Amino acid sequence: MTGHERESISTGTAPWLSGVAFSVILHGLIAVLALVGWSWSGSTPPEPQPNAISARLVSPEPKPSPVVEEQDREEQRQKERERQKREEERQEAERQRQQEEQARREAERQAEAQKQREAERQRQEAQAKERAEQKAREEEAARKKAEAEAKERERRRQEEERKRQEEARRKAEEEKRRQEEQRRKEEAERKRQAEEEAERKRREAERRLREQQLEALAEKQEQEAREAERRRREAEAARAREAQMLSESQKYQGLIRERLSQAWYPPSSATEDMTARLQITLLPTGELASVKLVNSSGNTAFDNSALGAVRSLSRYPVPDNRDTFERYFRQFTIEFNPERLR
Amino acid sequence: MKRIKSMTAKRAYPRSYANPVLTLAVAFLMLAATGSARAELLIRITEGANAAIPVAVVPFAESGTMPAGDKIGSIVRSDLTMSGQFNLLAPEKMLSLPSQRSDVYFRDWRMLGQRYLLVGQVSREGDQLRARYELFDVNREQRILGETASAPASRARSLGHHISDKVYEAITGEPGVFSTRLAYVTVAGQGEDIRYRLQVSDVDGKRSKVRLESGEPILSPAWSPDGKKLAYVSFETGKPVIFVHELATGERRKVADFRGLNSAPAWSPDGKSLLMTLSRDGNAEVYKMELASGDLTRLTHHWAIDTEGSWDHSGRGIFFTSDRSGGPQIYHMERLGGEARRITFGGRYNARPRPDANGEYVYYVHQREGEFVIARTHLDNGQESIVTRTGADESPSLSPNGRLLIYATEQDGDSVLSVVSTEGGAAYSLPAAEGEVRDPAWGPITR
Repeated sequence: MTGHERESISTGTAPWLSGVAFSVILHGLIAVLALVGWSWSGSTPPEPQPNAISARLVSPEPKPSPVVEEQDREEQRQKERERQKREEERQEAERQRQQEEQARREAERQAEAQKQREAERQRQEAQAKERAEQKAREEEAARKKAEAEAKERERRRQEEERKRQEEARRKAEEEKRRQEEQRRKEEAERKRQAEEEAERKRREAERRLREQQLEALAEKQEQEAREAERRRREAEAARAREAQMLSESQKYQGLIRERLSQAWYPPSSATEDMTARLQITLLPTGELASVKLVNSSGNTAFDNSALGAVRSLSRYPVPDNRDTFERYFRQFTIEFNPERLR
Repeated sequence: MKRIKSMTAKRAYPRSYANPVLTLAVAFLMLAATGSARAELLIRITEGANAAIPVAVVPFAESGTMPAGDKIGSIVRSDLTMSGQFNLLAPEKMLSLPSQRSDVYFRDWRMLGQRYLLVGQVSREGDQLRARYELFDVNREQRILGETASAPASRARSLGHHISDKVYEAITGEPGVFSTRLAYVTVAGQGEDIRYRLQVSDVDGKRSKVRLESGEPILSPAWSPDGKKLAYVSFETGKPVIFVHELATGERRKVADFRGLNSAPAWSPDGKSLLMTLSRDGNAEVYKMELASGDLTRLTHHWAIDTEGSWDHSGRGIFFTSDRSGGPQIYHMERLGGEARRITFGGRYNARPRPDANGEYVYYVHQREGEFVIARTHLDNGQESIVTRTGADESPSLSPNGRLLIYATEQDGDSVLSVVSTEGGAAYSLPAAEGEVRDPAWGPITR
């Protein structure tokens, strides 16, 4: 992925580089042209306008030797040397003639020069005047030109500036676009990363949730196990308590049975199939709170004997333990049913 | 007895289930009272105190001239003591002597351990005695009996026995026998002067009256079911003859005067016939005689001696004594003329069967280690138990409620009638004024 990333970056850079090179070259050209133009228009002093024809001897410029091929070069050099000797001879003759000519011409020229100097002086005077005028005109023109040039320069500068600005703007835009692109990419990347992060976080959250759920489940199971254990222990304790209560209750049941047996005088009419059931309610002190005949034996004397027996105990033997009392002795049933009659 | 029980049970159920709505409501109330579904504790009492019931009979308050003799309260106290079922508080131990409810402090009586309290007052109104009495359940602080009864002053004892009967029934649930009578024979004198007297008295031996006096033996008195007649054997004619004696008029009738032996009369439950032992056919056999016609039915057919027939509780079968096994043993014939089943197997001598009124036991004279005692055999399981141990015990007779047994015996060389509870409780004796006392017969309850 990073490879792709890098690739996309380099492909983006190449046009930019070529763009830069192009612009550098273009600027260079522009600069050269400007310089040339500027030297042409500004730095060259104005040529004095000849107001009289003058001749001056100028030695001819040696003509450039033609370019020959390498194989002809020795022959040519030979010919050259001959031609140079002839030339030198001719040139010596020429020089003598010229020297003579020169002397004559010097004389003429001096005369002429005098004449000319006069004319010249006159002409120069006129010329000076002319020149002053000219100069004024030229200055005006120069000023105008300079102005124009300045204007031009300004225009160019402005143009340049504009271009530069354009370029800058373009660059800026480019940059902006690039940045935009970059930003977008970054944004996308961020977004992607954010999404990834979100996804990761989601997964993490899910994972954590799952873990939490598992933990909770485990916790719950553990708690349930603990609870079950607690319940089991409680049940065990309750059973133990129950057993204790039961054994205690049995003890007191035995005591009550004994006391009631001693207190019960079954009437002579009692038979073994007679059963009187009494529901009795005790106070925690063992005192009888109430007694109710819930099932008659069908024999009044028998019922009375049972009621009398139950009522005859001033205090029932009951456990001190209040739970046991409440559980078994607060209210219970006594059944009178003789098994062995006297 | 079984039949009576099931009847009471049947009576009880429709009463409690008569109203289903009420029954439901009661069930709900019981549930609500219990508070939860858990089973309520149930304590079963299957044994009672092996003791007499503590009863306080306060001497009755008296107004007017009282007849001579025992006071009403004393008679009642004595009767209740005699029954063997009550333990009477001595008057000197009483903290107060109330004669009506307003004077009763139950706590005092409870403190004295009393279960029942009888208070009353007797007043003389002309020649009548009037008794007003109340019986209280001390622990429940409830009056369970209250009555006013009167009798001629000359019959003060009857009034006392009546109150005893009422008290007895209120506490035990069965009728008292204090107003019943005894018949017995006394023998006094020697040789020419020997006198046999058939006597009738109250169950406490008081008010005895000679009904027949003879120089010849009188044996086996038997009460008619209505209590108005006695049948007995008299030797007055020189041989044993069965008479029926009307007590109210003193009229006597010879009912069996056959050749040979005429003995052991016993009344049928309806009072219309007599069982008797006759040897008119050469051997002693048990017969049934219709009193109105004198028709005889022979019930036993055996070469051995069969005698002392008596009706069982159902009135359909008879018990009798037979020596068909070699010595006297008790047999039962479920239907007249049916198969005789031997009842007693313990010892070589078992005679004079006296079945109780509810078909549970048959009592008889049993010879044991050379002595004669009264024993009984449970008719369901055949188990034999000894009831009396005095030795020389004979002629057992049961009280109508089956709670007491009277028999003739000897005490310190004296002939006495002894009364014991069939359940082995207290006993009392009726000593003969002189000579011997024999053949007691307990009379029926007459109302």
